[in-house]
Amino acid sequence: MKNFNKGWKERTLVEFEIVNSANLGALRAGLKDRNPFVRSIAARALGIRADKPSAEALAELVKADPEYMVRARAVESLGLLKKKPEAIELAKKDRNSGVQWVARMAAGQIQGDTDYGALVRKAYAAGIKRDNLGVAKVGKPAPDFAALTSDGKPFRLSTVLGKKPIAVYFAAFDG
Amino acid sequence: MHEQAQLRFKKDKVEKLGAEVYVVLAMDLYRTKVFKEQNLVLSTFKNPFTKEKNLVFGTALSDPAGYASALYGVSRRCLRGLAWVENSPCWFVINRKGTLTYASHPTFSGPTFYVKDIDIILEELRKAAR
Repeated sequence: MKNFNKGWKERTLVEFEIVNSANLGALRAGLKDRNPFVRSIAARALGIRADKPSAEALAELVKADPEYMVRARAVESLGLLKKKPEAIELAKKDRNSGVQWVARMAAGQIQGDTDYGALVRKAYAAGIKRDNLGVAKVGKPAPDFAALTSDGKPFRLSTVLGKKPIAVYFAAFDG
Repeated sequence: MHEQAQLRFKKDKVEKLGAEVYVVLAMDLYRTKVFKEQNLVLSTFKNPFTKEKNLVFGTALSDPAGYASALYGVSRRCLRGLAWVENSPCWFVINRKGTLTYASHPTFSGPTFYVKDIDIILEELRKAAR
């Protein structure tokens, strides 16, 4: 995992725009793009957008795309769509360990009734403004935000502010 | 996870300060649940956490679009698997008045960097509790 500080605001804004507003036909076409970054973001966005007609094409990417990042995003989306369990099982044996891990997560997501994709979609739908990016500054009031606890309960920072000292750690999955 | 393990190790000190700890993941709810509930590595060999059900002591929060992470300026800075899907790990401390009093990225500067990191967080929580 590498850190890249430059361009994070643009990446954040573009991601919100693609997930919320990109034309579905363009995203489906993006699955066949020559550029693996385009295939990757198209695969991710189609899963979040609950585009079930894309499941077959996503399963094909999982099986045959030469780039592991594309296979990872495609299997991630199959988990959100709760489709193609056989492709997800296949990805658990992918030659890349990162794809295997994403496939294990997807296999867990297709179990049960929770619509994880709908929760992700709702979070993106709230949108984000450039002026709000990076507004947290030492010496200033802590910016409020909403999230879900790991057991699915709504959380809002403002409900706990001003009562106790608080530590907030923004984590990567393994860091 | 080193940061979480070290914080879990010092859980009593956090509780004595009456502090709350939140861990925000720019990931969906399922992954957040796995992060919170699975003692991913440390349950596999003998150590102080072997029998703990949850390694993560704080309340784990799912921020799947990275909105909170973007407000705090830590989103989409880490590349994993050629995808911008991770937070750049960072600690923030907020005092009793709701003011941000401390922000710091873990240094990852040696095999035991997390010991110093958590000691600093505890000290900042002490100041924030006043």
